[in-house]
Amino acid sequence: MASWFTIAKWELMRSKLKFDARSIIMLIIALILVIVASYAASQTGMSMNQKIYLVASSQPEVQPIIETDQRFDHMLVDRFEASVYYEYGADMAIIGNNVYLSDTRKAASAGDALENTFIEYRELVLTSYNDVNNTHPVWVTVHDLERPQDFQLTGTEDTIDEISRGYNRTAALENVPGGKEGGSGDGSVRTGSSTISPEDIEALDAMEGKTFFERQTVSTPSNFNPPVPFTAILYAFLFIFPIYFVSQFYSTSLMDERTNRKGELVLIAPLRSRDVVIGKTLPYLVITMLIQAAITLYILKIPSTFADVERILLVLAAILPVILLFFALSFYSAILSRSFKELTFASVFLSVVISGYLFFPAMFANIHAISSISPITLIVRLIEGETVMWNTYIFSTLPFYLVAAAVYAFGTSIFREEDLFTQKSISSKIIDCFEMFLSYRYGSVFFLSIIFIPVVYMTQLMLIVMLFNLPVPYSILAMILLSALAEEIVKSIGIYTLFKRKITDITFKNAIRLSILAGAGFFVGEKAVAVLTLAPIASSAFGTVMTMGALLLIPLLLHITTVIINSLVMYWKGPNAYKYAVVAATIFHSIYNITILREMLL
Amino acid sequence: MSVRGNSCRKMKTVAKKEFKDLLKEKTFILAIVIQLFIASFSTFLVIGLTSFYDPTALGDVDIEGVNIGVVGTEDDELYKVLIDNNVRTYLYDDFIPAYGDFFDRRIDAIIVTPLGTAGGTDLLNVDIYLPKSEIKATVVSLQLKEPLEEYEQSVRDVRTQRLPGYSPIDFNIIERGRFASSTFFEFVYVALLPLLVFTPAFISGGLIIDFITEEYERKTMDLLLASPASLLEIVSGKALLAILIVPLQSFVWILLLSMNRISVNNSLQILLVVTMIAAVLVFSSTMIAVFFRDRGVAQLLYSLVLIFLFMSSYLFTNSPLNLVSRLSINSITALESWTWTGIYLLLAFVLYVATILVIKNDPDNI
Repeated sequence: MASWFTIAKWELMRSKLKFDARSIIMLIIALILVIVASYAASQTGMSMNQKIYLVASSQPEVQPIIETDQRFDHMLVDRFEASVYYEYGADMAIIGNNVYLSDTRKAASAGDALENTFIEYRELVLTSYNDVNNTHPVWVTVHDLERPQDFQLTGTEDTIDEISRGYNRTAALENVPGGKEGGSGDGSVRTGSSTISPEDIEALDAMEGKTFFERQTVSTPSNFNPPVPFTAILYAFLFIFPIYFVSQFYSTSLMDERTNRKGELVLIAPLRSRDVVIGKTLPYLVITMLIQAAITLYILKIPSTFADVERILLVLAAILPVILLFFALSFYSAILSRSFKELTFASVFLSVVISGYLFFPAMFANIHAISSISPITLIVRLIEGETVMWNTYIFSTLPFYLVAAAVYAFGTSIFREEDLFTQKSISSKIIDCFEMFLSYRYGSVFFLSIIFIPVVYMTQLMLIVMLFNLPVPYSILAMILLSALAEEIVKSIGIYTLFKRKITDITFKNAIRLSILAGAGFFVGEKAVAVLTLAPIASSAFGTVMTMGALLLIPLLLHITTVIINSLVMYWKGPNAYKYAVVAATIFHSIYNITILREMLL
Repeated sequence: MSVRGNSCRKMKTVAKKEFKDLLKEKTFILAIVIQLFIASFSTFLVIGLTSFYDPTALGDVDIEGVNIGVVGTEDDELYKVLIDNNVRTYLYDDFIPAYGDFFDRRIDAIIVTPLGTAGGTDLLNVDIYLPKSEIKATVVSLQLKEPLEEYEQSVRDVRTQRLPGYSPIDFNIIERGRFASSTFFEFVYVALLPLLVFTPAFISGGLIIDFITEEYERKTMDLLLASPASLLEIVSGKALLAILIVPLQSFVWILLLSMNRISVNNSLQILLVVTMIAAVLVFSSTMIAVFFRDRGVAQLLYSLVLIFLFMSSYLFTNSPLNLVSRLSINSITALESWTWTGIYLLLAFVLYVATILVIKNDPDNI
């Protein structure tokens, strides 16, 4: 029997012990409470906006309308009192046929809210007449049409996005779902003719009560809303929530081994640390995958055809790298942190960051091609019945796989007594990882730089999301500075390790030699990433900042030069001046980037 | 009296020790960073929402630059409405040439006008073709919503007269020259503000679990108990710290919001409410932690309790989140708000007593 299997069995046994009858009962009670409360909450408007606007009204006939909306705190008074309330703090007074708003932002917003309430009430009243042709005479049918996107560089013939969606001009024309005379794409709607799907009020109700998961295509103008894909966020929550919980348990279990040196026995046993790590991870991975499979089945229903099975498997394939990354980071932070508090904060922080990476692009799932950097977008597309091509899958998941693999590899290399059971500082543990890597036979700063490429790539994509808030010139500037900083750190960290740990003598010759290796390694990796994945976003302004290095040979020189700056500062001032060395290199790198960007833009 | 003072001093000592640890591990700073991150998420959302619901807020996007192809004739009622609304339209008499221009990006959407008229009895179906996966689709939809509603209204004006006993709602909303989208306003005060000021309380609830279970798992609880402090004093000291750091952080949030021109009324009372809720959460998770002693189980249970409380607060007016919203925009009378603040104070007190009971009954209690 493989040794990792034994560890996995132990792990399962142990976690079973943790859940005694008492805690299981409490958890089940809590879960039932949550389900009941969620159900009750879903019956309400799901908003905590009760009674935020104060209305003083002298018109009894308006009362039933206002009471349909929980936002209004309504008072029925006579005309005089209404005007008094209006003077002293009510947001609006309804006197006669007029609604008087007071002069505040809240009142203006209350007026807007009242207008919507009137519209909703009108729809409600009209719907109660069983006469669609007269109550809801106008219907809007929305069709999505493919066409080439124009944000790619001019001259690029086929972009990844275009290929992945598998269309071209002629094919697209065939897909047009109905023209003036053409047959309709949606069987029940005959374009421009007198018959239409909602023959009766029931159909109308069904249309308006559409679940969150369906996309609206036919509606009345009042219900016609821009495609805001909040469904994507909902999916993300559904899929990612269980991962949070399981990875909590996973990291707690690892931390457990570390406190009071409980795990020492496992380390003394004749096992490779790799087997211990695999054994401890596998049960949690399997459990998470099972939960995800259940969620997928819940959304997609029990499969009946082979294509359905395939779709479910694809959804699971898209979520797997996300789980791996979550686990890898939990694993690593469990090894690094010195206390549970630290672990909690580290895992909350990392979860927030990864969720941001997953959520935001997915919000634009139906709007913009950049959304495909998030695997959640793949899931949304799969659930909506679209096909996902191989290269799209690679594009969004490869970084996850690579980063997870790198983090696991580094973490496993310090899965040993001196790092697990001592109160070493976090930074020295991190340096330990690199030291271990560099002391392998084939380990060199060249490969270290390459390994870091996906990490840098994900950091930079994350930065795009975070800096989206800032106004344009500042966001680009911050983007340039921060991505230069990230690149300089990863390029030089290996050299710092070598110098700091005295593996290599700090000589001028070594500084230059290592710099060339590290810079070249980064260049090779960057080039590879650019070829593999970056094509779809290469030409948006942010993308330019990330990839402009990949175009010419000058970047190779740039990468090497900045590392040389870095290592020479360390050579003169000693490895403890590393911080300043990175800052110097970053400034140089940024200046270069800004100059280039200016030339490209002007 | 001296016994009581003594006990307070010991609690303070424990709280001070935890605070020092907190700073030393830099976790506190990390907590702040997390919250900043959430805030930047939220602003992202705010900007997103504003631009979706209030297109005028999107100053940079040139709405005028959207060209819309209309397949129909010049007499179409819908076409006239579009012209009146200053939509930049191009008239086509057939779908195929319009599609060609759409594909070559000369127009960004195609509208096929309905065949019937308002005076007729048939349903009028408008077909809209939008570019898939483009942000322009959203812009076009936004631009078309109002003309479409106007068109619907004009048709309804004719047709609802046929309905027996129907009279339209007839109220004029007199605007004062200010415009505020209710979606945006409510998002800020109903969702964003409560979420931000309560986040520190949510975090503190999780923090206290770590404070306590850590002592058990490291077996240092026995050491602490050997000191003159009792279990109650140790736990209270930790809880005290976890509660006290909450209003500090919430205060910073309110300050930051004010700097972003989101004014918050009654901020002192809001901080009081937040502190009470922090106490409720911290005492609940203290009980959970003392009872279960295992971090994983305790954190999981706490998360469930938190979700339960969150969901429950949808169900009634003046739930903590709603109360904070109403306080911040001055939509509540002093009497009502203080009554509810008192209720939460009472709840916190009851939970404190319950915590004391749980600890008194703890087998390890000396």
